[in-house]
This record gives sequence, C-alpha cells and structure tokens, in this order.
Amino acid sequence: MTTTRAARPPERTRGPDPARLERMLYYLKVTRESESRLERVLYRQGKIVGGVYTGRGQEAIGVGSAIQLARGDVVFPSHRDFSSFVIHGVSLREIFCNWMGRAEGPTRGRENTLHIGSLKLGIIPIISPLGDTLPVACGVGLALKQRGRGNVVLVHFGEGTTSRGDVHEAMNLAAVMKLPVVFICNNNAYAYSTPTEKQFAVRDLSARGPAYGMPGATVDGNDVLAVYAAAQKSIARARKGEGPSFLECKTFRMTGHSAHDAAEYVPAELFKRWEKKDPIPRLEKFLLSRRLIVAKRIRELERSIQQEINEAVAYAEASPLPEGRTAVEGVYCGEQCWWLKD
Amino acid sequence: MRNLTRSQYHDLYYYLRLNRRVDEQLVNLYRQGKVVGGVYSSLGQEAISVGTAYALEPQDVISPLIRNVGAMMVRGFRPRDIFLQYMGRQDGPTGGRDANTHFGDLQRGVLAPISMLGETIPVMAGVALAGKMRGEKRVALAYVGDGATSTGPFHEGLNFAAVLKLPLLVIAENNGWAYSTPTEKQMAVPDIAERAPGYGIPAVRVDGNDVLRVYESTRAALERLRGGAGPVLLECKTMRMKGHAEHDDARYVPKEVFDKWRKKDPIVRFEKLLRDRRLMTVEEKTEIEGRIEREIREDVDFAESSLFPPPEGAARPVWESGAEGA
Repeated sequence: MTTTRAARPPERTRGPDPARLERMLYYLKVTRESESRLERVLYRQGKIVGGVYTGRGQEAIGVGSAIQLARGDVVFPSHRDFSSFVIHGVSLREIFCNWMGRAEGPTRGRENTLHIGSLKLGIIPIISPLGDTLPVACGVGLALKQRGRGNVVLVHFGEGTTSRGDVHEAMNLAAVMKLPVVFICNNNAYAYSTPTEKQFAVRDLSARGPAYGMPGATVDGNDVLAVYAAAQKSIARARKGEGPSFLECKTFRMTGHSAHDAAEYVPAELFKRWEKKDPIPRLEKFLLSRRLIVAKRIRELERSIQQEINEAVAYAEASPLPEGRTAVEGVYCGEQCWWLKD
Repeated sequence: MRNLTRSQYHDLYYYLRLNRRVDEQLVNLYRQGKVVGGVYSSLGQEAISVGTAYALEPQDVISPLIRNVGAMMVRGFRPRDIFLQYMGRQDGPTGGRDANTHFGDLQRGVLAPISMLGETIPVMAGVALAGKMRGEKRVALAYVGDGATSTGPFHEGLNFAAVLKLPLLVIAENNGWAYSTPTEKQMAVPDIAERAPGYGIPAVRVDGNDVLRVYESTRAALERLRGGAGPVLLECKTMRMKGHAEHDDARYVPKEVFDKWRKKDPIVRFEKLLRDRRLMTVEEKTEIEGRIEREIREDVDFAESSLFPPPEGAARPVWESGAEGA
C-alpha cells in the first residue's frame, strides 16, 4: 500500500485526531502481522534469505514518531522499525520481495532484511553498525538546516548503540550546531544478550540529553500516544530551529536478537511482564473505551491487513530471483544507478 | 582531608615554579633551534598538573598530556629527562627516538602520552580494571583536554568505567581552546562536568588556577575511588596562556581573554597565599628558587652535552623487549 503524506503546518500541538488514531492502529497491526509472517512462517519455511530481525513489542515507537513527519523530512529507521518504512510509503510487496531476495525488491535481490531506503521517500537505509547512523543523520540534518525549509530528521537506534563513540560525537555535534535531529533511542533492554545494567550506569538514558545541552525525555515506548506526544514536542522544536532532542522510549524486545536466537538469557518472567504491556491491545482498549472505534471496525482492519499481506507474499513468491549476470549492476553509480532515481 | 605540612606547601611551590622554569627553558632552546619538533607549553596550567599529581600515592598511575610536564616531575622525572627528550638526545627517556613528553615509566606510574587524546580514557580504564582485578588500591588518573571530550573514545572509555565502577579519575583540563576551537564550538554545555550525569558518575568543578583547590578536590575524589564507588570527573577550569605550540601565535584568541587570565596566574596566586598565611619566608622562597635555577642550569648543560643517538641503533628498541632506551 502507498500513502501520500501531506505537508502540515510546522507547529502542531494537538493530539492525533480520530482518523489518525485509526491509522496508528492500522500501522501497529500491519507491522505486527507482517513481521509475524516473516519470522514465524516464511523464515521457518526457508523462504527468507538471511536472518529475520523484528520489532515485536516495539511497534509503537516507529508508529508514534514517523506518522508525524511531513514531506521533505527524513527518517533513519533501525532494523526494528518496520512501521517507519510502511508509513513512509514503502509497499508490502517491496518489503517482502526484499526479504526474499527477489529481483523486484528495492535492492533487486542484492541486500536482504530492511536494508532498504529511498531518497524520494526520505528513508535512509539501515547502517548495520548502528552507531554510525547518527553522524550520518547529523549530515542530513545539516543539509536540511541549510536548505531552510523546516524539515527534520528522525533517527532510531537501540540502547546498545548509545555506548558507541560515534553516538557521542554525533549528539555533541548536533547540539553545538543546533541541528534539526530527533534522536530516538528504542531502549528494548537487551543489546543482543547484554542487559542494560551492563550497558550503562544511569537509570534513564535521557540523562544523556542535558549532558550534551539538549532536552532529554524518557517515555513508555509501549504507549503509542506517549511516544506521539513526546515526538511531537521534539519535532516541533527541531522545525523551529531550536536544535536536537533526545527521546528514550523504554520497551522490550519480545523476541531474540533475531529469529535464530532463542534468547534463553532473558528471564522468562520479563517476557510475561512485558506481554501485559503490549502496545497494540493498549491502543485498542483506549480507542474502544473512548468510543473512537468500534470492535467491528477493528475486525475489518485485521481482515484487510491479512489480505494485503497474503497478496504481497504471493506476489513476492511468484516474483523471480535476480539473474546472475545482473549482479554487478548498481554497484557503481552510472546509468544503472536505480537506487538514486527510485 | 589531611592538612598539608609547611614543607608540603613548599613542595607544591617548588613544583609549580619548576614547571614554569622548565617551560621557559624549553622555549629558549626552541628559539635557539635546539629542540627537535615542537614545544607545547603548560604556561598557566601548572596548578592542575602539580595539584593533582601531588595528591596521588606511589602505586597510582597517570597518563599525562603534553601539557602535564609538572605532573611528570611530581612523579619523579627530572628536568634533565625532559630537556634530553625535547632535544632528541641518546640519554633521554626514549633514547632520542621520540620527542617532547612522549615518554613514560611504569615504575613511576607514568604512561606515555597518547597523541589522540581521547584514546587515553579507554586505556586508563584498562589500567584501572587491572588494578581492581588484582585487588590493588590503585587509581588510574587520566588527563584530557576540552577537545578530547568530544571524541568517541572518551565516551566509550568513561561509560565502560562507570558500568564496571572502575577507580578512574578523569581530570578534564578545560583550557578554553582545542587548538583554535573555543569551547562554545566544542560543546553546547557550559561545563564539561555536565557530561557526568549522562554516565551516572559524579563531577566536581574546580578553579584550575588554584593549586590548593585542585589538590583538595583530587584528594576527595581519590577517597571515593579507593572506596570502590566508581569513576569521578574532575573539571579544572583554566586557560592556555600560549598558542597550541610555540609555532602558533594564537592570534585567534581575543587579547582580553589573555589579559583576564593573566591576573589569575596560578603561581602568583599561590605565592600570595603562602605569604598571607605566613607559610613561606622570603629566605625560604629564595632558597627554593635558587635550587630550581641550579637544577635547570645543570640539566640544560647536561642535555646539551649529551650525544644524539647513533643511527645504527635506531631500529633496536623497536622490537626487542627490554632493549636499552625502550
């Protein structure tokens, strides 16, 4: 599916309207269901090229933030921010094609997972050493600042990334140069198998914000409305030219590091505790209790999501693998530089 | 907090003055073309080197910066070591193979400076970790400048030390300028100390031109460190009273900044304190200064009469362990 994002006025202090709330529920569910299909069906059927990394349980972070971006804004999703891709207009067909290494995927079978991006849609592909993402985001932020159209950058990374030197260099630079960057830390409690208490000695990573001279906030990353409100504030600040912010979204990685990791190092009671904080039932409950949606409408959404996914998966499965002779195309930027034009 | 004895006050004065005089001699030698490479002055920052290093115990380890000649002398190096090294002579600590303060001695608990200054922090976190694992009451004291705090290794090293509660004392010498970059272009916070809450460690800010305050703050931090409570960031505010090195005339620094800081000269201030508190008589002062002048003269003479290293030995201590000059 494709979305058109209309540019909105630079400042917006109201909460999401009912139509947007429904879109948020849709994006949460389409993310959960697509990733479930990838991890629990296609991967196990051996149809995925490489590993599967999902953001199960963390969907609210991408949804609550990316949905607020306007034309010209740029997002750097992490591998656990599937929703950011969909919100920014990457189709499910493209996504499934990429995971399955098909010729019609955005990387034409040359890369797997969510290592996809589009300059047109304002999505920068994931950089696997996640710390390196942040200086790049600063560069994009500097370009947007110089163009002076009030555009902003959202950059996602995990709590493990925050221990990296490049993160420090980037956050310091962004603060000194007042770059329009929103640093969003998806603190999902485990960096592969490293728990947060072995990663840093602070209770909340938002303490890092003031250390660089920028606001820092910690929110419940499983509450899409809390993420939305905090991101709204940070985005507005960036648009006004007041500089970067640091937003820590506390959540939990409800899977292993990837589909091949059983995560036996995570105590079972942690999964149980966080299961109760699942962001999707929480938004449903909120919408139903406020009479912003009816149960029947939720069922309709779910049915149409299943249809969309079925259609996209069928399309990807029927799509050919890339031909061997094309392997060197697109390596150097010449006539065949499709990824710049796309 | 232990009280300093009269002779300890004299020690502090001796090292401050010695630091300043060694610095002045190096500039002379540089202008005479006798120094190999550049001269990096510690003019105006002597109180930090002396006040911190004087608070340490023999088992502690420091990693000086190029401007911490004073700390190196407190740890036992003599002016002649510094002159020999700056002049590239074979009797120098590196046997003429490296220049300026790029030398160390593990017996004296001094690690040779690392030019990429941020890298010092992870290395010193390693020194602190080794001490902790061996159960020694050893503290690692690392010096960094304001510029180094913007580098990735500073962050990685300090976060690591905070998580493992290592006995690492970071002395952030905020001298206003990283080469030609003023602090307001270096960071968006007024003090380096603001970084500490981001790591979950305490920070102390101190007037880096007040040797007693530096000494006392270091003592207090060391107590915490030896108790196993983890690293401390001690920010010493000062001003680099010269260019980055002798070849840099620092015309990018507003003149009034120098004028303002000249009034805060750490040696003049300490002299006044010693006089006001009657801790040093004129005779004592004359004796100390005379001793320093004799040492400097002797050591400059010694260095000048020392030979350059013979070229055939150049490769020897590069690979052999325990080779002379290594």
